[in-house]
Amino acid sequence: MVEPLQLRNLAWALTTTVECVLFVQLARRKFLDKYPWFSLYVVSTIVQSAVIATAYRVFDTPNMVVWKIAWGSQLIVAFLRFQALVELTRKILGRYPGIWALAWRLFCTVGILVMANGLLFSKGDWYWIFHNVERGLELSIGAIIVTLFLFARYYRLPILRLHSALMVGLCLYSAFFVLNYTLLEKHIQELVNFWGFLDVLTYLATLLIWLNAVTRYEESAAHAPPPAIPKELYGKLSSELNLRLYHLNQQLNQLLRSEDQHR
Amino acid sequence: MSASLLFFIFSALVVLLLLLWASRPSKHRFTPGLDVFEALSQSRHSSRMSHILQALRPADTEFLRQTGQAALMQTVRRQRKRIALNYLDQLQEEFETLLEISRVLALMSPEAVGVEEMERWKLSLVFAANCAFLRWKLRLGLQPFSGFTLLSDMATNIARQLEAATTRIAETAVRGSEPSATGHENIGGL
Repeated sequence: MVEPLQLRNLAWALTTTVECVLFVQLARRKFLDKYPWFSLYVVSTIVQSAVIATAYRVFDTPNMVVWKIAWGSQLIVAFLRFQALVELTRKILGRYPGIWALAWRLFCTVGILVMANGLLFSKGDWYWIFHNVERGLELSIGAIIVTLFLFARYYRLPILRLHSALMVGLCLYSAFFVLNYTLLEKHIQELVNFWGFLDVLTYLATLLIWLNAVTRYEESAAHAPPPAIPKELYGKLSSELNLRLYHLNQQLNQLLRSEDQHR
Repeated sequence: MSASLLFFIFSALVVLLLLLWASRPSKHRFTPGLDVFEALSQSRHSSRMSHILQALRPADTEFLRQTGQAALMQTVRRQRKRIALNYLDQLQEEFETLLEISRVLALMSPEAVGVEEMERWKLSLVFAANCAFLRWKLRLGLQPFSGFTLLSDMATNIARQLEAATTRIAETAVRGSEPSATGHENIGGL
């Protein structure tokens, strides 16, 4: 029977290979300069794998130094991951200044609220604060991406298939990371190898989504953004439109109320 | 089961479900060429409300019943129900058009106002819920006719308010579309 540790190492080697292929594809399709933060994030994951593998080789048994190297590199990867998210969000919404101005505030609020909620459960315990920061960050990334999709859907904004696939990949990994972590948190020490295997497996699925997107989809030009109008005009028209919508709503309400009165 | 366990699992599942729903290709497409003026000048079904309601007065059906024409009364009532449902569809269509205009406006604006957008979103939710409820009531035949009488009296007043609001929108839009010193591009290609 294959040991969980061996399985994890196998999956680890596989993900690193896929990461390298993804990077090559990014370079081949000339996406490196168009998506610098996303490319940096992919590079950082490759470097992280190499650094941790070396640390495990140098120090035969896992100790504090290995732990610090692992978590230190994870901080850098998480930061670059967040930057990749910002980059993609800006690519999708940046062409619409009005929407972008509203959206980034909304995303920040959603992100901070989710993160703060996660930290509330730490009860001042540093061990849990540390773990919940990572879990909260991943949950925030997932929540922001979902909000972005809902936002784009409401305003009928076109999202390129490439961007959509990259975002879906990021969100899936974040959500499954939180699920794996939470379901196994009580047994994280005993099941560390199994947890690591599940994590790598989820990440591998994400990498395959990205690889498929980078290989298949073009960064084709979307619709030209609509012409701009002065802010004051938007304000006036917007208020009047709301008033008219309100009146239409009133019509329906009165229709409902009048029925009840006559019953 | 601890609160943190519940929170994280529930949140992650909600994120996954919403992602599944929101990342589907949308049936509605962005309309970059939507002419705001043209859309605003389209005929408004809500302004015809009083005429429709006049035709739906319950006194008409009561008269038929009194003269012993029950079958005819049923037919008339069925037709009225169809008219009411049709009117509701048109009202909803008008609401959707206004929402579409407001979306295009938000895309054209240099800075969308959160409060206004949120208000519009809330109105659309309330409208959708009311519309579904009323349609359900009409289909089930829960006294759909008596209520129209009072509404008929109110209709003229509401129609006037709607007309006033629409006129103000058109005036504001025309003023905004006039060539200005700021050099902004005009909306609606005017």
